[in-house]
Amino acid sequence: MPREIALLDALVPTLLFGFLAASCGSLIIDWLLTRYQLYRFIWYPALFRLAAFGCMFALSGLWIY
Amino acid sequence: MSVLQLMKGRRNRLLVTSRAALSDWLNEDAPVFGYLLKVLLASLLAMWLSLRFELDQPRTAMLTVAIVMQSRSGMVFAKSYYRLLGTLVGIVVSLILVALFAQERVLFLLSMALWIGLCTAGSMVYRNHQSYGFVLAGYTLCIVGLPAAISPELTFNIAVTRISEILIGLICATMVSDLVFPQRIWDAIQTKVRQRFSDFSDLLRTTAQSSASTKSSKQVLLRFIGDIYSLESFRASAIMENDGAKHNRLRISEMNNEFMAVATTFHALEELLRRQRNTGHPEVGAALINMYRQLSEALTLDGKSAHNEQEAALVTKQLTAFRSTFTQNLTVYRMQLPQEMSDHEFLDFETGAELLQRLADELHAYAVTYSSVNYSEHKSATEEMVAPPKLEMHFDPVAVALAGVRGTLTLGIMTALWLLTDWRSGIEAITIGVITSTLFATSPSPNQTIKQFMIGAIIGTILAYICNFHLLTQAQGFLMLALAVTPTILFASWLTTKPSIAVVGSGIFIVFLMHIGFNSAYNANPVTFINDAIADLLAVLVSGVMYGLIDISSSAWSRRRIASSLRGLIVSACRSPLLMKRVHLENAAFDLVQRAGSAQRVAQEQDRLVIDWLLSTLEIGHAVIALRELKPEINHPYFSELLLTSLEAIAALYETPTETLRMKALKSIENVIENLATDISTDIAMPEAAHQLRRQALSMLHFIHSALLDEESVLVAKEKN
Repeated sequence: MPREIALLDALVPTLLFGFLAASCGSLIIDWLLTRYQLYRFIWYPALFRLAAFGCMFALSGLWIY
Repeated sequence: MSVLQLMKGRRNRLLVTSRAALSDWLNEDAPVFGYLLKVLLASLLAMWLSLRFELDQPRTAMLTVAIVMQSRSGMVFAKSYYRLLGTLVGIVVSLILVALFAQERVLFLLSMALWIGLCTAGSMVYRNHQSYGFVLAGYTLCIVGLPAAISPELTFNIAVTRISEILIGLICATMVSDLVFPQRIWDAIQTKVRQRFSDFSDLLRTTAQSSASTKSSKQVLLRFIGDIYSLESFRASAIMENDGAKHNRLRISEMNNEFMAVATTFHALEELLRRQRNTGHPEVGAALINMYRQLSEALTLDGKSAHNEQEAALVTKQLTAFRSTFTQNLTVYRMQLPQEMSDHEFLDFETGAELLQRLADELHAYAVTYSSVNYSEHKSATEEMVAPPKLEMHFDPVAVALAGVRGTLTLGIMTALWLLTDWRSGIEAITIGVITSTLFATSPSPNQTIKQFMIGAIIGTILAYICNFHLLTQAQGFLMLALAVTPTILFASWLTTKPSIAVVGSGIFIVFLMHIGFNSAYNANPVTFINDAIADLLAVLVSGVMYGLIDISSSAWSRRRIASSLRGLIVSACRSPLLMKRVHLENAAFDLVQRAGSAQRVAQEQDRLVIDWLLSTLEIGHAVIALRELKPEINHPYFSELLLTSLEAIAALYETPTETLRMKALKSIENVIENLATDISTDIAMPEAAHQLRRQALSMLHFIHSALLDEESVLVAKEKN
């Protein structure tokens, strides 16, 4: 994977896209969990959201580098 | 033995008092401590991250944290979101302007002034965080556009750095407030909703008991108006807080609308009772008060008001019982009235009864919605609800335009100073000037706010001086840096938790963080510092003067304008070809007053004019709308024409309140009443439903009639002045 991507001729770190994808992913997970009321089973939703985001972002980092 | 018991008793007492002290501390001081901790944690995190990423200005990230941090998580999310949006828009506009006019400073500054004016006007139109987004879109242009115009080759870098820093600040703030001692806004909504219901029940009960309408009930009513809007803003922010809050969103909004209706009807009834006491037949007044007491008893559980949803459900049952026996009771009371009373006095009674019934119906609807709100976080599937009408925007276009002009003028003055004197700290001064002259435009009394900000700016400058030249010079490493900035952050955020001096706190924050003497490395220079400090204070002073010159919230002129737009509502309620909805009228009237900030200054004598007009508008407006709703259902040969003429007379009266017009309106209403009354008494073959409609129309007409006749009303008071 290239570490930087030219977006409209501006070099942007690929990790930024990883960040955006991870945010979208966590939004989707959040929506699903709210929709089916799965937050019942989670002790600390905010921490869970952050952790889920962290996992996805780290995965994208691993994939890029 | 006895000594031992004595000691034991003393220890127990001590334990009890210390336990009480602990619970007090947990309730009142602990949240403040938690909040201070959160602000500190978030800003240090932001500082560390931006230093780690080697961004140019860690202070922007810290400033962002300081600005968006609030005690409730949902508010932080909402404000962050709009700060991000505002910044993005502002940056895009800066890029465009730099691309177009970088060489032409006059054109550049002109278009900038135009943009800032537009954004300020936008911020006056929208509420809360959206309004903040507009302000930000305006002043970002100063922060990004001006330096970029001076060195156009760096534009892109400046923009990217600004976005990154703000993003870091936002992420730190939202993360910390979501993770560390999260304070859900949902809890605040719950407290507010519960408190409002019990306060309103209390109000109903006290007025029933003391039966003396007082100024205090007016004030309580006005506090409720403020509550309607703060609840609305909480509700808007609660969307961002995911769990649970979403389910009841519509219900809260519907409850808000229902509450407005209840409050208006209550006020109308109260006025009617007052008039009855002053001029009416004593028997009628007594009968009405008795019926009103029954209603207030229906709201009471064991001598207390309902404090939660379960109790509200009980109240709902009592209200249902009250409504089902209402007609019976009414007949009993009607029979007890002395027969020698005039028609007019009978009408007084009927009108009061009609209003009482309305109040009972609306209270019932309100209580039903209230008791159906479910606060548990995890709800089983909610039934779909029709979205109730939203709180719309109602504002005075002239006030909005003037606010825009004020922002533009401040920019103009500061840039003129900058260009003419070749001032080194010009950009600094312009930025602070524009920020202060646009940010406080929406506050209830900008003059006070800017004074507080000025105090904050002075304190912030002193603290920044101490920090820059005494603490930072000896600091080594991140830990020492953090130690050097911690006291100010704690002090300023502690001030922001106190509502009366919150702006002082934010003044300290903004000025301190703008002058903090490190970027990627220590780079404070006393000469630049003092120059910039002078520029800042001067800029705040200029915008203070501008607020004083263009005063659109507390001058006599603006009050008269608001009063006349309130009257305009009645005019359009009477004349508009489409029937105005009652929610619309209430919402428009409340919003106008709320925006002018009069509701927060009820105590002041000058604002009484606005408040009196507001109450008069609501009182007459609800009756006018009820009449217009009844009009198509009554088939009477010439009733609608008669009604139209009297509505027209009312509209004319509210357009220009004079004594002759008042008499004219009274006369035309009397005419309709007479016609309708003879119609009721002569046409015996009329079906019961039609009869009922006519009586309703009659009582509403009578209500307007007696309200116009009232010698204490604002319509008459105006004449005397």
